[in-house]
Amino acid sequence: MLPQTADYMRLLPEIVLTVFGMIVMVMDAAAEGRGEGRSRGRSIGRIKDRRIEKILGAVALVGSLAAITATFVQAQYPGFAFWNMVQVDSFSVFFHFLVAAVTAVVILTSFEYMEVQQIRAGEYYALILFGAAGMSLMSSAVELVLVFIALEISSISTYVLAGFRRRAAISSESSVKYFLLGSFATAFFLYGVALMFGATGSTNIATIGDVLRSGQIPLLAYAGVALMFVGLGFKVAAAPFHIWTPDVYEGAPSPVVGFMSTAPKAAVFAVLLRIMFEAHAPGRIGLIWVVAALSMTIGNLGALVQDNIKRLLAYSSIAHAGYLLVAYAALPDNGIPAAMFYTASYAAMNVGAFAVVSHFGSAGERYVTLGDYSGLGRRSPLLAATLTIFLLSLIGIPITGGFFAKFYVFSAALQANLVGLVIVGVLNSAVGAYYYLRIIVVMYMREPQQEVPVARIPVGLGFALAISLVTTIYLGVLPGRVLEYASRTATAWMR
Amino acid sequence: MTPNLHLWLIPVLALIGAAINGLFGKRFSRQTVVAVALLFSGAAFAFALWVASQFSSLTTPHIETLATWIRAGEFRADFAFYLDQLSLVMLLVVTGVGFLIHIYSVGYMWEEGGFYRFFAYLNLFMFFMLTLVLASNYLLMFIGWEGVGLASYLLIGFWFTKDSAAAAGKKAFIVNRIGDFGFLIALFLMIQHFGSLDFAQVARGASPALPGGEALLTTIGLLLMVGAAGKSAQIPLYVWLPDAMEGPTPVSALIHAATMVTAGVYMVSRSHVIFEHAPGAMMVVAIIGTLTALFAATIGMCQTDIKKVLAYSTVSQLGYMFIACGVGAFSAGIFHLMTHAFFKGLLFLAAGSVIHAVGGEQDMRKMGGLRTKIPWTFWTMTAGTFAIAGFPPLAGFFSKDAILFKAFTSTYGSWIYWAIGVFTAFLTSFYMFRQWFSTFFGEYRGDDRADFHGHGEHGHGGIHESPAVMLVPLVILALLSVCGGWIGSERFDKFLAPAFHASEFTPVVQHGAMGMGPDTVVPATPVLPTGRRDVEVSETLLTGISVAAALLGFLLAGQLYYRRRDLPGKIARALGGFYETVLHKYYVDKIYAAVFVKPLIEGSTKLLWHGIDRDVIDASIDNSADGAREVSDAVRHMQSGNIRSYAGWVAAGAALVILYMVWVGTR
Amino acid sequence: MHLILFLAFGAVCVAGAVNLLVQKHPINSALSLVVVMGSLAAEYLLLGAEFVAAVQVIVYAGAVMVLFVFVIMLLNAGEEEETKGSRVAMIFGIPGMLVGSLLIAWVLIEHSGNKSLAAGALPGPPKTIGWLLFHDYLLPFEVTSVLVLIAIMGAVVLAAAPASAGGRKD
Repeated sequence: MLPQTADYMRLLPEIVLTVFGMIVMVMDAAAEGRGEGRSRGRSIGRIKDRRIEKILGAVALVGSLAAITATFVQAQYPGFAFWNMVQVDSFSVFFHFLVAAVTAVVILTSFEYMEVQQIRAGEYYALILFGAAGMSLMSSAVELVLVFIALEISSISTYVLAGFRRRAAISSESSVKYFLLGSFATAFFLYGVALMFGATGSTNIATIGDVLRSGQIPLLAYAGVALMFVGLGFKVAAAPFHIWTPDVYEGAPSPVVGFMSTAPKAAVFAVLLRIMFEAHAPGRIGLIWVVAALSMTIGNLGALVQDNIKRLLAYSSIAHAGYLLVAYAALPDNGIPAAMFYTASYAAMNVGAFAVVSHFGSAGERYVTLGDYSGLGRRSPLLAATLTIFLLSLIGIPITGGFFAKFYVFSAALQANLVGLVIVGVLNSAVGAYYYLRIIVVMYMREPQQEVPVARIPVGLGFALAISLVTTIYLGVLPGRVLEYASRTATAWMR
Repeated sequence: MTPNLHLWLIPVLALIGAAINGLFGKRFSRQTVVAVALLFSGAAFAFALWVASQFSSLTTPHIETLATWIRAGEFRADFAFYLDQLSLVMLLVVTGVGFLIHIYSVGYMWEEGGFYRFFAYLNLFMFFMLTLVLASNYLLMFIGWEGVGLASYLLIGFWFTKDSAAAAGKKAFIVNRIGDFGFLIALFLMIQHFGSLDFAQVARGASPALPGGEALLTTIGLLLMVGAAGKSAQIPLYVWLPDAMEGPTPVSALIHAATMVTAGVYMVSRSHVIFEHAPGAMMVVAIIGTLTALFAATIGMCQTDIKKVLAYSTVSQLGYMFIACGVGAFSAGIFHLMTHAFFKGLLFLAAGSVIHAVGGEQDMRKMGGLRTKIPWTFWTMTAGTFAIAGFPPLAGFFSKDAILFKAFTSTYGSWIYWAIGVFTAFLTSFYMFRQWFSTFFGEYRGDDRADFHGHGEHGHGGIHESPAVMLVPLVILALLSVCGGWIGSERFDKFLAPAFHASEFTPVVQHGAMGMGPDTVVPATPVLPTGRRDVEVSETLLTGISVAAALLGFLLAGQLYYRRRDLPGKIARALGGFYETVLHKYYVDKIYAAVFVKPLIEGSTKLLWHGIDRDVIDASIDNSADGAREVSDAVRHMQSGNIRSYAGWVAAGAALVILYMVWVGTR
Repeated sequence: MHLILFLAFGAVCVAGAVNLLVQKHPINSALSLVVVMGSLAAEYLLLGAEFVAAVQVIVYAGAVMVLFVFVIMLLNAGEEEETKGSRVAMIFGIPGMLVGSLLIAWVLIEHSGNKSLAAGALPGPPKTIGWLLFHDYLLPFEVTSVLVLIAIMGAVVLAAAPASAGGRKD
């Protein structure tokens, strides 16, 4: 029996992303062959190379847009594919769309960045596309073995992407750090899968769920959940596995940070949703309670004293992982939609914020401290206003997506009677307001300390910012449709 | 069939004004900016007046649903607007006073940079405030609630080149976040227990018969009060309001006196059903109100900055409104809210006019004798001062009197509230007349040179009367401050009665507790006045005492600050430490900084920065300082410490997770 | 007998792994890895997974290890420098690892249930494995190729000298 057409259709976005990834890779190699030896420190051929790299970028962009389209095609074929390896449902379609959209925005942001930082772009775009394929696959995989492989694809591509600022030692350092620690964490996940297999005799999430629901839960399953959670918790930067985040975010190229703080996280959160709810992971609430509270607190307190914007946003992303995890402790019918909504709105605002950071950093990411942002409100009102809206959304001010995201998450948690956790969360978001506001204050209310040049906003970045901005505000003003979609997904799931 | 009034237009008009000025204002001339700002805020006011004219033909509450907003499972919230007597009063106050202050700002801000930005923010504020007032559910109200906070933040920090302005804006924002935390949790509790955030449905759901009953309602009530205390600057969250005076004076008048800060009072009144079933929460509201009124008034006595005096006075007056809410006299609270909007708006604008006249000076010790130089300002300010002091027959007299009377007689009331209220009235009268005398009487004590170059916000030369565009709003507000109370609290109470007592959704309010049988619900009958305790006290006597208190304040201030100017210094010296304490606002800011802010910052610095983060940073700096060094070198260097430490943390965390899960599993 | 052999190889495996970490010279570490791989293959064999055991020997102990040693020779890597340890790792990490491992060992011993698996209960013969790999697990199998591809790309990217460094030799 061979795979049917429908099987392939259910995998269409992944296939599209991989194929485009390979096209970019091959085109790059072909161009390199012609322009002979350009990789070895030559500066004369650079202008011509730039053109080639722009073309590569454009191809990658087309690839990500094609993946978005493919998502809609895929949505027409709900069901299982490849012998229960992959399940296409409205849940997975949601995350496919999200990942593809984030990819497109990140590629748009990267055009300028690549040029300013003089980074060779060929492998860069290919890795982003391959990584996106892995992330998409994670959200639809219902077999832990496949989840593991997809997770590795997504992780390895981000490890490498983190090291793309070749001229900065800090970037290579962050790449290696991320790689070593990430592998360490993945080992936990794999061991957890093995124990889960030992406990239930299956690696299929639905089957595991059935086994765990049907009888007494063996202690081995608890240990399995613990280990899998360690692995996944590392990937989403939840405390106490967050420790790598500030270093890696600081060292990695800004568009990549925008990418890896959203898309892979969204995918891992999708996996976590499946494991926690569909596989009926035991001991969920207490574990999540502690980890969520810890992440929120450490993230927010850590961010209070940061002077480097990228480190600040790294701590902020730890805090946001905490807020998001709150939804996992809630009941499935509220928790799942709340988590989905949060993922989407966090993706929109964070990608946007990093787009601004990457534009403003200019060559060598020189301008990334808080002081460099002083007076930005006057020098580049548009850029400052955009960043302000993203920051307000990160605080959770109404009419931005961040508000409703927090609102639903906390509301879901309260309906599960997690009063303590909600109080911790809301208090934390009050503390969090402080450091986001610090950036806004610096931008608008401080005299610039030194002459920091602000380049014109190029078209690609303009589009990227516009998309993130519109999405952030759309989710804040009219959250109804997305939320309804998410809630229908949850109900369909729980049936 | 009630007509569709298109209520949504009112806030949207303001939003359009904000959008036009915000987006294109930079290219407009000042005249165009003014035209746009006035046109849209004026149109909102006109529309509000038209709505008021149609009001009698409506069945209240009149709800207009614009669109479905959120529908997720059981929970739904709509873009819907809610008009009843309460929101009508608020609507008229906000648009009316707002429009007048817009006019005033034209004159006041004319010379300032960022003119268009100012009006865009101002209109934006109006939009959020109107959303807050007209919302038909708590969620939409919360949007407005946060929105006014944001606009307030922008406007306080308007002169963002001043460090103190930036800090004040930030402080206001953060303190309000703390209040919002209470409000938000209250909302979550409502969703959880009532399944809705609609005012109507919450009112229907809120009954002691609920599981959790009174305890739940008390909890919700207290959390709402936390939110209200943040926005309306009550103890312990009042600290932001005095600092907010860094903003331009029209902003202080509009946002920090007449409208936004009263949102808390409005919200508590709107939630009256919850509070009525939660006597414990009511008592807390009343106590907070009483303490704030007294506390702020004492601080106000020692302030020398003309705007700071008014700021503390606002805090104190808001305390009065919360006393009213706390004793169940919601309509009296709203009445005071309205008159306060008139006279405090007036006082701020007049103070602005004074500041304008003396070239940006705000210290009262450097004023004096301005009576003849700026007569219009003097006379309007006099009206405002007498009104706030509670002299009959001015507006403040009626509303304050109503509150004090209810505080004494209501079932929830107590003579203590009344006594402190009267004493505060005396203090109010004293510090207001202190200001009045210091500013307008005696010799001019200012620095003469200030007349020529001026400093701060205004650079005019010579003491001069403000232009007509600033005086007209002053005069109108002065008239309102004089006559605004003549409606009488009884009539006002009757008008608001349907909103507070006979809401169609709660046909049976627990009137039993207020001395009436549950059957005797007549919509038009104000319930609370009949619900008084059995105290034989004549209203005339109470009124007499409060007027006497006001008079006493006037005489004392006249004695100290007009006749015997040497006395205050002597008294201050005699009081010694106590005076110092009050002068420094009881050191509350310092205490907050020491107790909350410092430990938080230092804790995170010590624990996270020094403990974990710094080693890393140092290592990173070592590396990046020498960017040309070989990558492999950097990696080797880094491997020495960090990676092992990090892996150590991860392993330790993993061990804890495993330990926990195994423990859970074996239980 | 079975059990004794299993435990013996297990002990050798662990000892090899520890030795791998402790050794300072890369060649010694690599050779320890061969020991680990070999004893793992023996363990698989004892569990009745002949095919996996064979693959383990051929691919890991054979091909991969040869490559490792080859690369180490080529780079002429010397002895590692002694680097300063980490207090965190000593205080939290190592005890943490110990506690975690012991706990899981305890869970496995005490609570893995009594469905003891007979040798050969799991798919062992090549035909079964082939069927699983190219039918049920076809997708993971194919997707692994993407994983390998990006791993190679990553190696290329990270190993290439920075453009600015000119013709510097590593």
